[in-house]
Amino acid sequence: MDKIYEQTMLFDFYGELLTEHQRSVYEDVVYRDMSLGEIAQERGISRQGVHDLIKRCDRILQGYESKLHLVERFARAKKTVAEIEKLTLPVEAPEEPGGEPGEKPGAGELRRMQNRLQVIRKLSRELLEEL
Amino acid sequence: MAVKIRLRRMGQKKAPFYRIIVADSRSPRDGKFIEEIGTYDPSTDPSTFKINEELAKKWLANGAQPTETVGKLFKAAGIEK
Repeated sequence: MDKIYEQTMLFDFYGELLTEHQRSVYEDVVYRDMSLGEIAQERGISRQGVHDLIKRCDRILQGYESKLHLVERFARAKKTVAEIEKLTLPVEAPEEPGGEPGEKPGAGELRRMQNRLQVIRKLSRELLEEL
Repeated sequence: MAVKIRLRRMGQKKAPFYRIIVADSRSPRDGKFIEEIGTYDPSTDPSTFKINEELAKKWLANGAQPTETVGKLFKAAGIEK
């Protein structure tokens, strides 16, 4: 995962647990892509001070993630929802001719839909168990 | 006037994407920018970006400074001065 994305996601989930000052500096990094030098100059603190503060925030946020796993769970949930959404799209392949012998027309279609619904039910259950 | 090329975060909470913008280095916070030259979406797997190569090269040639992150994107896109 790209660093700025990782930092942004951690900040979106746990940012409120930082102090106001930490939050403000961290936002400059992850929302505005400001360099340490720029932040230091603007706030009248040393570049080293900004560097240490960012590192400390990284550690604090990663500490929350290692205990709570909210970002990780969110990513998994997002993937599952994408799978479910795919299953709700119209079936692209036309019904294969024949089907079971003696089957009514459209029966194959119905079977496919039922299979899809079953998968959706399974994925939804998994989604709940995650949380 | 020093000009920088940097990312700006857009998108809702938990769904970030970034604009690649050219802006005065002294105004990173007031939201003003000179030009948008691309987008970067790290939430896709793999992450995707779109950069107007012509504009990027123009700004680089004019001495605009990309941030570290934007520099990496430019490199991935094969854009150099």
